[in-house]
Amino acid sequence: MRQFVESCLNAAQLAGASYADARVVDTTTQSLSVRSGTLEGIESAESLGFGVRVIADGAWGFASSSEMTEEAATRVARQAVAIARASALAPGAPVRLSPVDVAEGSWTGSWEIDPFEVSLEDKLKLLLDADAVLRTQDAVKISLAHMDFVKVAKAFGSTEGAYLEQRYVESGAGIVAYAVGDGEVLPRSYPNSHGGGWAQSGWEYVRGLDLVGHASRVADEAAALLSAEDCPAATTDLIIDGSQLGLQVHESIGHPTELDRILGDEAAFAGTSWVGLGDVGTLRYGSEHVTVTADSTVPGSLGSFGWDDEGVPAQRDTIIDRGTLAGLLTSREAAPTIGRTSNGCMRADGWNRIPLIRMTTVSLEPGEWSFDDLIADTEDGLYFETNNSWSIDDRRLNFQFGCEIAWEIKNGERRRMFKNPNYTGITPHFWGSCDAVCSRDDWQVWGLANCGKGEPMQVAHVAHGAAPARFRGVQVGVGR
Amino acid sequence: MSDRAGTEAAGMVLTDEQARELAQRAVSLTGADQAEAVVISSAQALTRFANNRIHQNVAEANVQLSVRAVVGKRVGVAGTNRIDDESLRRCCEDAVAIARLAPEDPDFPGLPSPRAIDEASRAVPASESYGPGERGAAVASMIAQAEERGQSAAGKVEVNDYVLAVANSLGVGVAQQLTDVRATMLAMADEGGSGWASFAGRDASQLPAVSLGDEAALLADRSRKPGDLGPGSYAVVLGHEAVADLLTYLAYVSFSAKAFAEDRSFMSGHLGERLLHGTVTILDDALSALALGPTFDFEGQPRLRTTIIDEGMAVQPVTDSYWAAKLRRPNTGHALPAPNAHGPMPANLEMLGGDASIDELIASVDRGVYVTRFHYVNIEDPVPALLTGMTRDGTFLIEGGKLTRPLKNLRFTQSAVDALSHVEGITAERRLVGEEGASLVPALLIGEFAFTGQTA
Repeated sequence: MRQFVESCLNAAQLAGASYADARVVDTTTQSLSVRSGTLEGIESAESLGFGVRVIADGAWGFASSSEMTEEAATRVARQAVAIARASALAPGAPVRLSPVDVAEGSWTGSWEIDPFEVSLEDKLKLLLDADAVLRTQDAVKISLAHMDFVKVAKAFGSTEGAYLEQRYVESGAGIVAYAVGDGEVLPRSYPNSHGGGWAQSGWEYVRGLDLVGHASRVADEAAALLSAEDCPAATTDLIIDGSQLGLQVHESIGHPTELDRILGDEAAFAGTSWVGLGDVGTLRYGSEHVTVTADSTVPGSLGSFGWDDEGVPAQRDTIIDRGTLAGLLTSREAAPTIGRTSNGCMRADGWNRIPLIRMTTVSLEPGEWSFDDLIADTEDGLYFETNNSWSIDDRRLNFQFGCEIAWEIKNGERRRMFKNPNYTGITPHFWGSCDAVCSRDDWQVWGLANCGKGEPMQVAHVAHGAAPARFRGVQVGVGR
Repeated sequence: MSDRAGTEAAGMVLTDEQARELAQRAVSLTGADQAEAVVISSAQALTRFANNRIHQNVAEANVQLSVRAVVGKRVGVAGTNRIDDESLRRCCEDAVAIARLAPEDPDFPGLPSPRAIDEASRAVPASESYGPGERGAAVASMIAQAEERGQSAAGKVEVNDYVLAVANSLGVGVAQQLTDVRATMLAMADEGGSGWASFAGRDASQLPAVSLGDEAALLADRSRKPGDLGPGSYAVVLGHEAVADLLTYLAYVSFSAKAFAEDRSFMSGHLGERLLHGTVTILDDALSALALGPTFDFEGQPRLRTTIIDEGMAVQPVTDSYWAAKLRRPNTGHALPAPNAHGPMPANLEMLGGDASIDELIASVDRGVYVTRFHYVNIEDPVPALLTGMTRDGTFLIEGGKLTRPLKNLRFTQSAVDALSHVEGITAERRLVGEEGASLVPALLIGEFAFTGQTA
């Protein structure tokens, strides 16, 4: 592999690149899903190819191909240089990269049981068993049990002398019960919605989720939602569970602190950011209870690696320190605009895409509350669990999230259930209203395998650590 | 293989005949009761710009093969992008091995038989030869419109040149070469001004770079100093892009036979009933003059012109072979690649036009809102297609039949079904718009539309 990477780099330099990196990525996937007692699909797939990214005449070019031959390596590298030169038709300041320690090495994620070695029979049995339990509730008209596995082997080399090989396995699984009745479809998911739970781990992660053991509760809650009242419209105190709060971190902290968004690189598609270039160190992002880190060293997290896709080593950085913006997610090109070097957030979703600034494990650090104490301390409010829908404006200010289920809190006790809960807010006001975060006992890392960004679209696998937290005076029950 | 100069041989794309032969070869290698193979050979190139410069400029060449093996009523799918003999054989064997282990699906009707495909040209030479120089020149023209006004431009010019081939063991063997070109332009002015324009078509030589840049820049200039608007229900004029957003999400949650069968669609149990305003007709037509994409689906079946809503009345969802058999309805030819969680989906949505101009729609509104486009729309409740999202890049207050002042971006929380039940005007002009797919839509006047917040 190293020889192939070096062929790409040599060809790029001979064609006139002042910098080049080449990545070879070999991805294997497997997906299984059972829906309402019937197999919805089993699919395995593999994708192998390489991409060459160059700077020529001060501008970027990138080309990629699935044709793994020496001839293609030369052709694609030359093509990348030609594309870079065409970028000069609309030139900017020459691209400069912040320095990085040139590394050679390898990194392997941890897993105990290779999910691709587990028989399809065992996987299907687990899914069919879980699905059968979901369907024991008459109100559950649609049931879903699914699992997905990803195996990645990749190599990176640069004309600066780096050569890195990395391997990891990811596993995801979940169940969903849809209660259907009277023009309503009400989902209830475990361990999370929109793809279930995910970890950089093997079959042991899926087994540990105990989908079958949780299916009965999930089905019961879905059925109960059908007869629950709609979440009332109010401005109230809101406790949000860890899974939903992970997504809240993702949308209203993770994306707006991506430095490429702040610089305007994503303006025409995903949008920009309400955060300004000069805000690091001064911007009040949230209350003193809000500390957020970006950490690509968290064991077992979708956001972990040895080096990012520019060869920058994995690291932990503070993004918000007790409410004040302390850092951003950066790349080698962007970091100098805030006077820093890259903190290693450049990730590509395959051989055919350039790396972009992406989240790693961006986490709301745990506080000191127990969940029971937090409920007991809340006189009049609501508790929301599990995301159902999400939307946020192009500067990441006005957001609205729907959740699967809610409970009323009265005088420190969790009481009746509500369906169709949603809440809305403005990012700094919302995080400024946070007055309590639960402790590490209730904190966990939530894998998220559907983060879209860029053109052509890339889907990143990222993660968020979060525990339940309380927010004062939140607008809920919007549009109902 | 042919060397397509335009995609600068990201670039070695199979011809349609080569792709069909590859698919047929995979079918013959698959030792199952039935077999199907889908080949996509593509060269894609995208030039992206921001802050008035090209900052990303990429190209890709790939060949993807997907094999569906059928053993009795058991189905397995395997895919690869390696097309050497050994990889091809292994992919076919994997599909069979998966099928043998899969539980039976008693409803699986078998793979579809061949049907006649309407001939239609979908590839344009000017797009095949549209290289990085042409893309860069188009980008420079677009940027110039913003720079002249002291604005900042961002967007893309994207060219896709690809071949889709489908073969199965019952004799299906179809292939088509296609091109599509997409361009977007966001212009950002000072004091919060923001404007947008886009292009989608098959022919790169038709890309109107200067007028696209001009349209976005004018809108950005006009939308400076946006003001506040309180939440409430307003009459709204939705520009073409906004209508396409609304229609795309409505189709996603409602128009598939799978959603219909699972009672997740507003049409479930209501075919033949008037569910939307009587002026609303929605169809899917892969054969219309402007349509992008293939004229057959991923099972090699013809994409039939399918009326989904006829003058407000629910007519039918779109189907594929599985859901057509299960619901005992015609196969409209809207299969996605197997397997998929969504079921069949429309690919060439159209809403029929009316007789108004957009100025006439605005002139008929005493107090309301004009929306250029939406941003980050999502589904809160599937049956009524209750959507939430933000407006973006040109939102204006309408007073006394005129656009009086720009507004900050507004959040809406609104049922698309209810919105299309309150249509009060439709433009004659339709445009082909969309970020990934493309819908041919008019602009609309809707009598009641719920705005529930605004950005800071």
